[in-house]
Amino acid sequence: MRDADREDLDFHRRLSSGDRGAFDELYRRYAGAAYGLAYRITGQQILAQDVVHDAFMALWRAPEAYDPARGPFRTFFLALVHHRAVDLVRRESRLRARSERAANLEPLVGEDHAEAIAEESYLGVRRKEVHEALAGLPPEQRQVLEMAYFGGKTQVEIAEELAIPLGTVKTRTFAAMRKLRAALEETG
Amino acid sequence: MIDGHGETQELLAGYVLESLSGEDAAEADRLLTEHVPGCSECRLMLDAFQAVAGELALDAEPVTPPDPLLPRIHREMDPRGRSGMRWTPGRLVAAAASVVLVIGVGGMALTQLEDRKTAQVPAADVQNALELAMKPGAVQQPLGGNASEISAPGVQELYVYGRAVPFPAPGLVYRLWAVSAKDAKHLGDFLPYPDGTVLVRLAIDPSTFDHLLVTVEPASSEPLEPGEPAWPEAG
Repeated sequence: MRDADREDLDFHRRLSSGDRGAFDELYRRYAGAAYGLAYRITGQQILAQDVVHDAFMALWRAPEAYDPARGPFRTFFLALVHHRAVDLVRRESRLRARSERAANLEPLVGEDHAEAIAEESYLGVRRKEVHEALAGLPPEQRQVLEMAYFGGKTQVEIAEELAIPLGTVKTRTFAAMRKLRAALEETG
Repeated sequence: MIDGHGETQELLAGYVLESLSGEDAAEADRLLTEHVPGCSECRLMLDAFQAVAGELALDAEPVTPPDPLLPRIHREMDPRGRSGMRWTPGRLVAAAASVVLVIGVGGMALTQLEDRKTAQVPAADVQNALELAMKPGAVQQPLGGNASEISAPGVQELYVYGRAVPFPAPGLVYRLWAVSAKDAKHLGDFLPYPDGTVLVRLAIDPSTFDHLLVTVEPASSEPLEPGEPAWPEAG
């Protein structure tokens, strides 16, 4: 377990006892990653804000939802953000316009990217490993993975969009996940 | 029906990416209930895939959220949400000892919750809820989360109805409680239908409690006392 993961566990334990300082520390650590993820999925700042807000409030209200035995806090929390972002995108009536947004993301206003990256320096190593693991996938596998994870699309939708059999989408997804697992376990 | 580990794990890969729908989603739910818990190989693969899915988030570049976001969250971190809703021991005893018949449209039992991912809201049940809402003196009380309680004078049942109700995070369920001055009775657990619709019929006399409370709690937890409110905006 990395030092940062151990620290997260301690912050989570304190948060579970109502320690707002621990909550703020987890916010400082993960708000940037969460907002970046939510923004990439939703394509809109206002929606991304709602996702991050809801995820942190859920953490505050039900910290017991995280089971340390299941893995690092980081993966739990970002999975929670992902779930909420995908759920929101699927429900949002503005989904219809989303294909346009994806091609031309709303320009970010007021963010300091350099500051965000500096705040998350300890995550930088892992982020680089994830980038490299994804880059190592065959393009057709990476495509279906990104359409599902960041595009919030179902496998049926992906098959229709790419005009390939559903079985092919499943096979590519499975292969991609296995390769990522191997690559990330090797580096993690 | 799938019976091989390979096909099961192929579905699990789609499951952790939240990209399954229709029959695949139903089959994954069945496997997660009936096969995975007893299969160490598939359980390990599920955990590994979930870890990968969590790490994938880091592929998105970090962006500093707008400054007002944290103060907004702080404002909503009302102490009542963490501790004010705790029930006294006396109330706990009453809640644990109470038995309330709950008849859920589409099923309220935890073991049936997964069916919600594939089930459709029966038209007849929607009709019944509408008829109740149209009775003289019927009231529709917002519960938050786009859900409302529908009840009518003299009718010993009520409905919880909602549209575009957000899904709780994986592993969590919505939990319904009938709250009165002396106790809080657990009525049952529910999840929205795939399109976000919630329609639950409660066979309980509305005059026997003060208000309904919806909490969001781990599916595996014992419903001894209400946890955190799911939708605090209901007040």
